[in-house]
Amino acid sequence: MKMTPAFLIVGALLVFWASTFIIVGLPSMTMKDTPSDIWRPLSPLEREGHRLYVKNGCSYCHSLFIRVSDWDVGAERIARAGDYAGIEPAILGSERTGPDLSQEGGEHSDDWNMAHFTNPRYTTPVSVMPAWDFLTRHEITALAAYVQSLGGKDADVRQKRQREWKRQAQAAYAGGVDRNIEWLHAQVPEVWRRMPNPYPATQAALQRGKRIYQQLCINCHSPIGDGNGPAQPFLGPPPLNFTILRRHLVENRYIGGIFYYQIMNGITGTAMPYFKKHLESEKIWDLANYLAVSFLGYTDANTEPRGIDASYEGNWQNPYPPPAVNQAP
Amino acid sequence: MTKSFHKPQSAALAFMVAGAVWFVVGAVYGMFSAIHLVAPEFLPHVAPLVFGRERPVHVNTMLYGFTGTMLVGVGLYYLPALLKTRLWSEPLAWIAFAFWNLTVLSGPLGFAFGYTQGREYNEYVWLADVSLVIAVACLIVNTALTIVNRREPQLYVSIWYFMATFLWTASNYPLGNVMWHPATGAMPGLIDSLFLWFWGHNLPGLLITPLATGAAYFVIPRVTRTPLNSHTLSLLGFWFLIALYSHIGGHHVLQSPIPNWLKTVSVVDSVSMVLPVSIVVINLWLTARGFGGRVWNDPPARLVMGGVVWYIITCIQGPLQSLPFLQRVTHFNNWTIGHAHIAMLGFGGYIALGAMWHVLPLVSRRPVYSNKLINLQFGLITFGLTGFFVVLTMAGLVQGSAWHNGETVLRVLPQLSPFMVMRAALGIFILTGSLVGLANLYLTLRPARAEEPLLRGEEAA
Repeated sequence: MKMTPAFLIVGALLVFWASTFIIVGLPSMTMKDTPSDIWRPLSPLEREGHRLYVKNGCSYCHSLFIRVSDWDVGAERIARAGDYAGIEPAILGSERTGPDLSQEGGEHSDDWNMAHFTNPRYTTPVSVMPAWDFLTRHEITALAAYVQSLGGKDADVRQKRQREWKRQAQAAYAGGVDRNIEWLHAQVPEVWRRMPNPYPATQAALQRGKRIYQQLCINCHSPIGDGNGPAQPFLGPPPLNFTILRRHLVENRYIGGIFYYQIMNGITGTAMPYFKKHLESEKIWDLANYLAVSFLGYTDANTEPRGIDASYEGNWQNPYPPPAVNQAP
Repeated sequence: MTKSFHKPQSAALAFMVAGAVWFVVGAVYGMFSAIHLVAPEFLPHVAPLVFGRERPVHVNTMLYGFTGTMLVGVGLYYLPALLKTRLWSEPLAWIAFAFWNLTVLSGPLGFAFGYTQGREYNEYVWLADVSLVIAVACLIVNTALTIVNRREPQLYVSIWYFMATFLWTASNYPLGNVMWHPATGAMPGLIDSLFLWFWGHNLPGLLITPLATGAAYFVIPRVTRTPLNSHTLSLLGFWFLIALYSHIGGHHVLQSPIPNWLKTVSVVDSVSMVLPVSIVVINLWLTARGFGGRVWNDPPARLVMGGVVWYIITCIQGPLQSLPFLQRVTHFNNWTIGHAHIAMLGFGGYIALGAMWHVLPLVSRRPVYSNKLINLQFGLITFGLTGFFVVLTMAGLVQGSAWHNGETVLRVLPQLSPFMVMRAALGIFILTGSLVGLANLYLTLRPARAEEPLLRGEEAA
């Protein structure tokens, strides 16, 4: 076969367009941009946030679709074609340096998002996301509004829950430090409140807990656990001062179960996220022991009711006596 | 001034020099990006240097600026040379040069300040798109009319690729960039991802690949002084490439809710890509068979053959990566970044550099300043890129396996930092390689200075 100029030019174009017809033409003729069950239109502010998301290259680190095989935050809903109806451009993304954001709306509170955009390490110490504080406050608000809209109607349900509980949490906080903790404890299901930490607070366990604390907690709750980390000025109610818990042990004894539940479940409405996707039982119990020992000077680890000790447990005796009753507040 | 725009091969040289400059610019932005993945607070509060803005500058400058520009320059030399004629119009090639580089320039000047369409590989704003299409149109006219005015009856395989590159790009680019929507450059809804990845994959496949293949087909037989192994294989490689390549963009969104038949088409054709790639590589390999020493001992040809080796590695990895089973682990993480680097810097970049060094003395009528510096560049980039590829592939496997096993992105992030540190360190070698190349180019092309003998004399004294 001889390549003449005409054969080359006409042939190259013909094969190209025939091939292209299959991959672009056919989908254009057959794919419909019909909204899915969770789809809703974006508000003007959210649309402005979407423009900022596109302009600033958020999509190079965040994807916008959940796959069948995903476990991470947002994985409750597998992406459907109609989720993207009318979005221009709907950038699905090719990289997850940060988490997928397609269902991020309402996962975190609004104030958490403001702190996070100002400097991601305020809320997430291990983050490598750039700080966006060179954007105006209005722009950060728009960006946060867009992120809070991701997930459509599902996000709206979550956002509504966030805002309802935020109102109650703020009211409790306004009632004073001790009233606040009483309110917080009251939200924890009864079974968890009288549950001691079943696992020993050994040196190794405390070390592991410390590592988790430094990776996930330290910039809200601060290195000394007083809740004055760099994120604090952004958050309302502010992060909890753990040291006060010493005078709020349940029956002057129990705190492990409360720690476990609050870490696992988060406190929706406040900036405290749930960590059940990030941490499994061993890490949460270790962290609970670390918080208790470091900031309360007391842990209920291995106290009654303790059940049958797990086979790995050594002969660890809890050296921490409960605080004296009627401590001055 | 106007005379220099008529000087034969001046545009080819300009494209090659611009490519070498863009290589340095792209590598600097790559370096910043790599540092930011290690230390996100490095140079804080500098809006143009946040990761989301510097990454597209890096990627586009490397793709269009370094690899694309340099390979066009090489082609503008071999096109008339192989056709035993002159380029139809040198000034028209200069016009293409101006528009092409304006587009590339809009990356560092635009993206850094938020002027971007934000779609990966399709970021250039509409005006820059127009500028690129004008450049491509000029190159089509120039190439076609040079072919018409040829004095060599036969069209060598490099000519096919060079001509076809621009025909395809002129069709591809406006389609993938959705140029009929100037404001967003996007289609509404999910279908946009198909347009996006249509060009997203055709950019390496139908712009860089044919340019690089054409350049390799030009350089290897010249250096080995052997005839091309097989005309039939050349034909097969060429037609398979175009028949299959445009179909495979879908494998970038394989796990998204696009129609299943599209996923099937993109996986099947991705795997089939092994055909054109092996054909090209076998053809070049057999051309050089028995004369490997000539290739190895010629620094520019060593780079070109290095590029061919990266090509076969990339294009075995690529089809495997398109398999849904493997993608469960390799998608969304640094594995893909490793792949992209061996494709663009390994395959496209090595061949661009090698062909540029090969063509440079022919265009400038001066010997290359230093072959040792070419070898140094080869060594630096080979060390940097090989390490880079290994480190990122490992990081990707760590990420993908952990995620697949239920670990969250956030929890795996701290595990990546040693890999990111190594990646940044290896990036220094690539950046140094680009600087060594630019220096070598400058030293080759600089006007001879009158005082030089005097200096030498002083040294001797």
